[in-house]
Amino acid sequence: MPRIVRKAEATWEGSVSRGAGTVTAASSRAFDALPVTLASRIGDPDQKTSPEELLAAAHAGCFVISLGSELHRGGHPPERMELTCTITMDEVEGQGHQIVASSITATAHVPGADDADLQAALAAADAGCSFSSLLKRAGADVSVSATLERED
Amino acid sequence: MATDRTATVTWTGTLLEGGGTIDSVGSGAFGPLDVTWTSRAEEPSGRTSPEELIAAAWASCFSMALSHGLAGAGNPPTSFSTTVTVTFQPGEGIIRGHIAVSGTVPGLDEAGFREHAEEARVGCPVSKALAGIPEVTLVASLA
Repeated sequence: MPRIVRKAEATWEGSVSRGAGTVTAASSRAFDALPVTLASRIGDPDQKTSPEELLAAAHAGCFVISLGSELHRGGHPPERMELTCTITMDEVEGQGHQIVASSITATAHVPGADDADLQAALAAADAGCSFSSLLKRAGADVSVSATLERED
Repeated sequence: MATDRTATVTWTGTLLEGGGTIDSVGSGAFGPLDVTWTSRAEEPSGRTSPEELIAAAWASCFSMALSHGLAGAGNPPTSFSTTVTVTFQPGEGIIRGHIAVSGTVPGLDEAGFREHAEEARVGCPVSKALAGIPEVTLVASLA
């Protein structure tokens, strides 16, 4: 399969504490010039996104595709999945600020699958998601969990 | 103090024919945004993708670290812009990251700007999280 290339742009004006920046999805233009500041990155988001929130969206998007693929491979294509990712940044002694954790929780509606099927797909998705692997190699704690959604 | 940031995504149907939505992020700054396999692997057609979001995280993180480094050395920037390109090889993962930054920094020469850019490339939290990418390159120049 050919390589996938995606681009984003950021701008910044002024110092880090008093200045401000923007971030734009340059390949798709799905979002354009979203404001970012240091204060909203580490404190109250104040309706502004941040590098960590963008990583959470990336990991959620990557993982949901991995999980769906693994369920499909196991003979149980999902009808619907919902997944939340939380990225944690913290100051690590002697190493400055780091992404220390990514926590993913998923619920899935998978006709004909039992919990063992889901847990097997979850483990395979975690091993196969390239972004999970990168975060683990960098020392981040990646935790994943999934539950089956009951039919109404 | 630890900082948590959250995003929620839903997916309906199969990988190739179905599609997903980044429904919401904790800040409320964007969403819902559609994601599909086709727009991830082929033409974006207005839809974002995990790789583009990683590029966006990286570009904004690098920019904050660079402005911090410049100001700390007594050369706060007037402004600069950063473009990050992420290359993903299906089956292998992210194989390349490229950072290009250009800006205006009073009182600093190009070599000094490059030095600060290199520090930000190595030291920003997103760069550290992505340190396993086999090839990361940087081009820094004054505008």
